[in-house]
Amino acid sequence: MSADRRRAAPETADTGGEPAAARSESDRLADHAEIDRLTDDLVPALIAKLSATGLGEIEVGEGSWTVRVRRPADATGSHSRRSTDRSSRSQPGHGGHGHAPGAFEGHRPMTGAATGSSNGSSPGVAAAGSTRGDGDGHRSVATSPAVGIFQPRPEVRSGTRVRSGDRLGAVDMLGVPQEVVAPADGIVGATLVEPGEAVEYGQELIVIELAARSGDASRTAERSEA
Amino acid sequence: MFRKILIANRGEIALRILRACRTLGIESVVAYSEADRESLPVQLADEAICIGPADARRSYLSAPAVISAAIVTGCDAIHPGYGFLSEDEGFAEVVRAHDLTFIGPPANILERFSNKESTRRLLGSLGLPTIPGSNGILRDDEHALSEGERIGYPLLIKPAAGGGGKGMRMVRTPRELEASLNVCRSEARAAFGDDSLYLESWLDETRHVEVQIAVDRYGRGVHLGERDCSVQRRHQKILEEGPTPALGPEARNDLCMRAIRAIVSAGYENVGTLEFLVDRDGNFFFIEINSRIQVEHPVTEMLTGIDLVATQIRIAAGEPLGFSQTDVITRGHAIEFRINAEDPEREFRPAAGVVERYLAPGGPGVRMDSHLFAGYEVPPFYDSLLGKLIVWGPDRATAIARSRVALDEMLIEGLATNISIHEALLTNETFLEGRWTTNLLDRVGSAAFLAAASRG
Repeated sequence: MSADRRRAAPETADTGGEPAAARSESDRLADHAEIDRLTDDLVPALIAKLSATGLGEIEVGEGSWTVRVRRPADATGSHSRRSTDRSSRSQPGHGGHGHAPGAFEGHRPMTGAATGSSNGSSPGVAAAGSTRGDGDGHRSVATSPAVGIFQPRPEVRSGTRVRSGDRLGAVDMLGVPQEVVAPADGIVGATLVEPGEAVEYGQELIVIELAARSGDASRTAERSEA
Repeated sequence: MFRKILIANRGEIALRILRACRTLGIESVVAYSEADRESLPVQLADEAICIGPADARRSYLSAPAVISAAIVTGCDAIHPGYGFLSEDEGFAEVVRAHDLTFIGPPANILERFSNKESTRRLLGSLGLPTIPGSNGILRDDEHALSEGERIGYPLLIKPAAGGGGKGMRMVRTPRELEASLNVCRSEARAAFGDDSLYLESWLDETRHVEVQIAVDRYGRGVHLGERDCSVQRRHQKILEEGPTPALGPEARNDLCMRAIRAIVSAGYENVGTLEFLVDRDGNFFFIEINSRIQVEHPVTEMLTGIDLVATQIRIAAGEPLGFSQTDVITRGHAIEFRINAEDPEREFRPAAGVVERYLAPGGPGVRMDSHLFAGYEVPPFYDSLLGKLIVWGPDRATAIARSRVALDEMLIEGLATNISIHEALLTNETFLEGRWTTNLLDRVGSAAFLAAASRG
């Protein structure tokens, strides 16, 4: 049941969660108060109801708001007690402080301007992958849509040409694969995380050398493969 | 004992749990959303892991994200804090199914106490006075009217699955009852996914008094005294204190002893709070149980010297309580002030922004539980609690005098806070005399209350 929470109510009042610099502060605060109320009271109840019933979708309207909670088509019943999940705990390199060296640590706070996206995510928009420039504008990086275990698709190797939205792999969150997709057209470069390694939400996974500079990109790709 | 705990919460309570883990020598991992990347608990953490975006539904409220984070970081237990997933029996069950421990009551016990109406009947049958009310859930309008007739008006309509004052309605006549039932049903259905209702006699001018209890897996339990949470604004507590000024020492002991006997008999496990209404004559009535660590737990910690979060973790790990009722000694008086990012001048609207300057108060008996620091940006996505000032004194008058000094010292610049309402309370005669009731602030109106205090 709880797998449903992940994608609960994508339509819910998502505009209110954006930074919305153009809107007045009072509107924004009023929206946040309303969102807080919906999030705290209504949404958990709807999710509970959805889980308790066999329904695929519940929609309620109240004032100017409409909240719709939809069960992901692929996740029905996916939350069975999976003993396989346990194996990841005993995986070498994931116990204690030694796990994922540099990965979580690298996302520790106080990175200043580099984390410009920290407050800017829009609730309800699936973060299946996102573009992050590396400063020179020739690359984009596919990031993790979830916290879990990273599995790249074997056929996606460095040098592979991909289009924006192509599946590059998945992050397994309690047995439910969350797709990692190419954020832009280009050529697959370095893969920053080993297959089977634990990743956190938003972690950079696969570099995409942008199509416009494909010559450079393939050279980079060869280097990273070596 | 646990080896490593995932802290699945944010703000001051994440910090509080982190401190408890360190005290117990347990490693911990702070799970955070993107909006909390630069927060104090993340900075101070042994280890931290981003579990999702700012939207709590995809981070702090996402059971799969929280459990996945616990698994990949090698944790063996999850502390849910308060709010979010802390009282979700479905979450507790899924945590257990992944061979992790939910730090709180086991899922089957959470489930047993999730329905307010049946909990009320269960604890009523075990010797706790409850407010006269309907016999079970209302079957239909006709049943409601006949029960209303039997109990007497005014009445309170309450959803069985509810909490936090949502979907409740006071009615004075059978006509009002009949007219309100459908509205309450649809509100309850929308809010809790369950439209069962019950009736309780309406008590006017009540105080909210709650008993802190702790019960281990082996059925050994103690009470840790009570807290008075009568200062509320629209059902939200803003100041809590202990002991309650509403009852004398004998009545307080009677209340607490009856509460612990009933809850042990009911088979409860871990820390919890039994909430009561106390009427003008000192009669008390059980209303509901909270099965999480509560925001106001430091009041009890200051009075007893017992670390409630550490106790909660130890009980969840299967350790015996380790102390008995005679070891629990309550000393002096403690008051907690919830410091919220809310603007009292603008109907307590939530505020967000950068904390430009921050100075925590100090001195004897003063404790500040807060995740603030100068330069911290308060994100607009979550509740408005910035921290809690807890002040202890050997008696209530000293605690109040120290509180005035501490509130005066406290400096939070850059965004609006509710400090002025606390300062106003400490000059108000009704509060100073210990006669505050739950609906007083709403009846007077917060704005009028503040205006009167500044004139005084």
